[in-house]
Amino acid sequence: MSTPLLTVDNLRVTYRVGRRRVAAVKGVSFSVARGQCLGIVGESGSGKSSLARAILALEPAATGQVIFAGEDVLKMSRAARQVFRRRAQMVFQDPLGSLNPRLKIGAALAEVLRVHGLARNRREAAAQTAAWLATVGLDAEYATRFPHELSGGQRQRVNLARALCVGAEFLVADEPVSALDVSVQAQILNLLKTLQTERGITWVLIGHDLAVMRHMADELVVMQAGEVVEHGRAVDILASPQHPYTRELVAAVPDVDRALQCRA
Amino acid sequence: MTATDSSTGVKDAAEIVLAVSGLGVGYYPRVGERWDVVAEVNLNLRAGRTVALVGESGCGKSITAAALGGLLPRNMQRDRGELRWAAGVDARPGRGLAYVFQDPGECLNPVFTIGNQIREVLPPEDVPDASARLTSLLRTVGFTESERVLASYPHQLSGGMQQRAMLAMALAGRPRVLVADEPTTALDVTVQAKILQLLGQLQRQENLAILLITHNLGVVAEMADEVHVMYAGRIVESGPVALLRNPQHPYVQGLLRALPRLHGEAGRLVGIPGTVPPLGRRPAGCGFHPRCALGREICRTQEPPWRENQGHGVACWTRGAGSWA
Ligand SMILES: Nc1ncnc2c1ncn2[C@@H]1O[C@H](COP(=O)(O)OP(=O)(O)OP(=O)(O)O)[C@@H](O)[C@H]1O
Ligand code: SF4
Ligand SMILES: [Mg+2]
Repeated sequence: MSTPLLTVDNLRVTYRVGRRRVAAVKGVSFSVARGQCLGIVGESGSGKSSLARAILALEPAATGQVIFAGEDVLKMSRAARQVFRRRAQMVFQDPLGSLNPRLKIGAALAEVLRVHGLARNRREAAAQTAAWLATVGLDAEYATRFPHELSGGQRQRVNLARALCVGAEFLVADEPVSALDVSVQAQILNLLKTLQTERGITWVLIGHDLAVMRHMADELVVMQAGEVVEHGRAVDILASPQHPYTRELVAAVPDVDRALQCRA
Repeated sequence: MTATDSSTGVKDAAEIVLAVSGLGVGYYPRVGERWDVVAEVNLNLRAGRTVALVGESGCGKSITAAALGGLLPRNMQRDRGELRWAAGVDARPGRGLAYVFQDPGECLNPVFTIGNQIREVLPPEDVPDASARLTSLLRTVGFTESERVLASYPHQLSGGMQQRAMLAMALAGRPRVLVADEPTTALDVTVQAKILQLLGQLQRQENLAILLITHNLGVVAEMADEVHVMYAGRIVESGPVALLRNPQHPYVQGLLRALPRLHGEAGRLVGIPGTVPPLGRRPAGCGFHPRCALGREICRTQEPPWRENQGHGVACWTRGAGSWA
């Protein structure tokens, strides 16, 4: 195995609730090899999203270590963090919230390119925008649409294009497909997989759907109440879960094949 | 967590509590114009049985459900088909038919206690002995500390508890038909499993006819006796739930191929190209044709016929009667 791109060591995230501090993430450790997909599953309140934000240095109250490409994200200089923010990006569940409703898709992407100094003029920006739209499976025509004119799946594609166009190599996706219908969810999951295998993107995929994880994640981390209760190869964990909580989760998933087998 | 066993389909002897035939809902975007939201929906809701209505977002599941109890949005009308109730059923909303929804916020008012809200919907005959009835309703939905729950405001309860409180409220009028519109979609899987189990138990206890609306085929396979799959406002395939083992309609086949599985092949999924069309942009002919690999010329212009064989029906020009066992 290659050296990990990301190593999280004894990471804690605490929040202030009234006069107390409560821990949402209680000393979590794992690593992700370059070009791999690590899945994090758990039920609501288990600390998945706090963990995701901490990895991207978006949680000021995080302690421990988050080593990305050899550098501790939690202790980076301002300049180093700026570079980090380009290489590591977050992808959210509903991209509509993160897209400016008054900017056409093409203009929004061009703006991102301009801010990061990646396009020298309008022509370059337009050419790059078209190329990124193609990468995420959208016709160049979509550059002239507004966000509300796109379906959920198309917006998620735009969101991916926006992260990739600044050169992101590491993406943390928090429930990226849970708002989508299964027919479209499959399209987007396949796109994520393609980006991983063909462009070497490294993923941390956060979700609650174990079946999705089985298809996407190389390794899986199962969280309960801020702690990792099981960690290993995704297919192995889901085939024979060891921790009682993981067993309970797996057993609770409504399984179309198993249920149909039970019925005459 | 499997539903009650059943002799499904046409041979089912359970009493039909509500027969829905040729149901159509129109949307009136402006005067003199009508669009189909839902068309030609046929459903037999039987005592003690669960019928699942499945399909992706925007296919018309909730509008179908709303049409049964007169809950349609103001710009829509149930203007086709009929609802026939079994003799002796009180068809008034809240009595013959009750709802539970995905979001308890649609039923539970944040400023009143659970107790006061359920008391509010008790039928007149239960009012004299209201406290006893409230306690028994709460026990029915699995609460042991009924006093504490009755005195709580909705926000003081977890998602699963709110769902139980909403169920208690739905059962207050002793309905014969329970329409559950995505009742567990917002819940964690372990909580979902408990609520589904409770639904099955209530069904047996009260001999309820359940119309279960969901987009989760796993939930359908575990809970339903019969399944109706909707696309663009129409039922495209229906029959005993076992049909999901070998569906015939290209959309239903596509849905199953797109579904990530916990067992078997863990490789790439197969999506369906395109998306569900919004209301104003539903295509002519077969609503699925822009996404269908088996589409032909006729599919673009003419609605496919509904063909039925032993309780299993399919609406498709290419896959039809005789192509299933
Ligand atoms: N109040 C409304 N005014 C206009 N159109 C509406 C209204 N409510 C629903 N629609 C439209 O009617 C169609 C059917 O909607 P419906 O809510 O029944 O879908 P659904 O199958 O329940 O979807 P979901 O899985 O998202 O709940 C959709 O095209 C929807 O956009
Ligand atoms: S009628 Fe034609 S387009 Fe529609 S599902 Fe059948 S083959 Fe496909
Ligand atoms: Mg709905």
